[in-house]
Amino acid sequence: MARRIVTLLARTGLLFLLSVVLVFGFWEHRNFYQIGFTNLLLLGGLVTFLVILGFRLALSGDMPRRRPKGELTFTLDEGDRLLRGGAEIAVRPADRVPTPVVGQWLWAKYDTGRAFGRLLVVDGTRRILADVTDEEARKAGYASAAELREAGRARWKWTPRDLVAVLRLRIEGAKP
Amino acid sequence: MIVYSLAVGAGIVVEAWLLALVVLRGRRPWLVATFGALALTLIVNGAAFIGTSEGFLDPAWESAVLWTLVLANPLTAILVLSLIHGETVPRRRPVVFVLLALAPLVVLLTPSADWAVQHAYDANLLGAFLTVCLGIPLAEAAYQRMTSSLFAVDAFWLAFGVVALIIGGPIYALEFQDLGILQSAGSNVAAPVALALFALVLFRHDPFPGTRPSRTPSGAAPHLFDPGRTVVFEETRPKYSLHAAALAAKEGVRVLVLSRAGPDLATADPAPPSVPLIPTRHGAPRVLGTLAEFFARAPGGLAVLPDLDDVALMSGWPSTEEAVLRLRGVCRDTGSRLIVASSRLTAPEKESLHSHRLDWWTLPDPAEEMEAVLAQSFGPGARELLAAFARARGLRREDLTLNHAEPFLQFLERALSELGQSAADAPARQGLRAQTSAAAEALRAFATRTPEDLARGDWPSRHASEADRGILVTAAEYWKGKEMQELFSAASDLGDRESVFEQARHVFVEQLGEAGEGVLRSELSKLGKRPEELRRADVAHLADRAAVDLTAMADVVDVPQEKLRIQRQVESIRRRLEAIAGDES
Repeated sequence: MARRIVTLLARTGLLFLLSVVLVFGFWEHRNFYQIGFTNLLLLGGLVTFLVILGFRLALSGDMPRRRPKGELTFTLDEGDRLLRGGAEIAVRPADRVPTPVVGQWLWAKYDTGRAFGRLLVVDGTRRILADVTDEEARKAGYASAAELREAGRARWKWTPRDLVAVLRLRIEGAKP
Repeated sequence: MIVYSLAVGAGIVVEAWLLALVVLRGRRPWLVATFGALALTLIVNGAAFIGTSEGFLDPAWESAVLWTLVLANPLTAILVLSLIHGETVPRRRPVVFVLLALAPLVVLLTPSADWAVQHAYDANLLGAFLTVCLGIPLAEAAYQRMTSSLFAVDAFWLAFGVVALIIGGPIYALEFQDLGILQSAGSNVAAPVALALFALVLFRHDPFPGTRPSRTPSGAAPHLFDPGRTVVFEETRPKYSLHAAALAAKEGVRVLVLSRAGPDLATADPAPPSVPLIPTRHGAPRVLGTLAEFFARAPGGLAVLPDLDDVALMSGWPSTEEAVLRLRGVCRDTGSRLIVASSRLTAPEKESLHSHRLDWWTLPDPAEEMEAVLAQSFGPGARELLAAFARARGLRREDLTLNHAEPFLQFLERALSELGQSAADAPARQGLRAQTSAAAEALRAFATRTPEDLARGDWPSRHASEADRGILVTAAEYWKGKEMQELFSAASDLGDRESVFEQARHVFVEQLGEAGEGVLRSELSKLGKRPEELRRADVAHLADRAAVDLTAMADVVDVPQEKLRIQRQVESIRRRLEAIAGDES
């Protein structure tokens, strides 16, 4: 709680400081800004808005690219394996829309809908299911490619000729 | 004034650092050259400005400030357009080079009173010229931002850079002049910011590292399609695209294969230069950069992109599709050729790509066609023969490519020899030999057929209807009796009888080249076995040992893409050895 108050105070203080700098800038450049009241209101307002927006973004410590877009769902077993570090790969249908791409952050969710962490897609490749190797299956938390195919058949009605996306993931902490 | 000069001086240091970084790390000579020209101009401009402002240099150097200012603007336009259009900018946007040619003329035509840098952006011919020079890249970046998914983000940074140049140059000069603080005209305090943003975009489009063919013209390629074309190979697995690359390389064409890993290329002789795709979210722009640079380096060459699906997984389909379409333009401009494999693309992606009227060749699976060719001689037993060969090599049926046609014929020849030793009926044996020769001839003829020829749909599998096969088998049985069946059995048993060492040797050599045999012998000595002592039951241990040792070797490799390639080879060796070990593993 105390830490949250300190963070809030620090951010508010920095925003106030920024406001002071902006006002100082307008005062300092008063001669240059003789472009008419309406123009100044619109242009100055736009610039001030962008500066404050950028500053808020920087203060949040969470750049837009790191915000999860989309989600990947896991069974309880799969999710736990991922959290414990027992799996680093997820094999999913390739025609999933929207398809996650390398570098994308996703919410990791259980089938029940509860998010349990954030995932970064580190690498990805597409395979015909029959081409998925034992090594990849083991990294996905299965004993063999045959076991993975069996699990996929039960869950997504996969056949060996189906296309799958083999995604290498990195999990970052549980969702607060 | 000294504070401003210090700011410009600090900017020069940053610019010099960026210049060194781009020159040392950039892999696209055209972009490195244009970036270098702009960076050098801005460095000279900054140095001349500081020198004249602080009195280090003679006032005559003020003309250097003006000239570099005038030169920097068209160079900015050329660099920004080059970052968007790559090496094809002279063809795509030639007007931008006219600006460069106009620069001295415009300065000469400007009234002498306006020669001073203070009046550079006034309402005169020079001011108009400089404004147009910055307006063109800004407009182009804004257009790309709105229309391109591939360049949307980069166009934003390019526009940001140009706007920074406008604010840090003419607008600040005007403001400082109005405020009467200092005279900054001619300098640009935002130049390092703009250069940093341009460098960022340049590196996002930088080619993937790897071996590249020399800058020599490509040889004639009678088996390849016409230059300037982009062809999509529609096949389940990218076999024909890689085969075409190997064939073209053999004919002296400059070839570049851009793929995640090319294990099949290990069997090609000579193996065409291959650049590995490194997983990055900038996959599509880097593919575009890699191949555009290759086409500029080797016009008339052939580039093969067998893993378009992986690019789609890196950057999303819209960017990937746009990269292919832009490459089609580059191909046309440079008279080069591009093969894109549509393997593993989803149905909507294929449909979307197909709508752009690219040349689309639907190709068969070589394994199925090889079986159909053999079926003309051996009937339904052809499947058995291929399966026996694949089993002996530790391959899956779907792994068979045209590269396996010759090894298969050798295998068939050995099976026939084995049969010859036991079969008593000489005329029947003679007939079977003639039949095998006919099959070999047909298979070799099929292996030489070009993808263009096959794309017309004249496939052996389409000719061999079930009815024909029935008649064929009946005829064969009529004059060869049960010899045919004996051949299938001989082939089936050959894998079991063939020395296990020989089978393992095939696997190691196919994956690791000639050095593979040495690796195998070394692994065997660690197991305390001699080649002739190797049994099927030992192959499982061999697979484990080889996997551990070769993985350890991969771990010491620092280059990530090479590490990945070795890991894939290790996995393939392990999988194939386990297949050879069979039930005894």
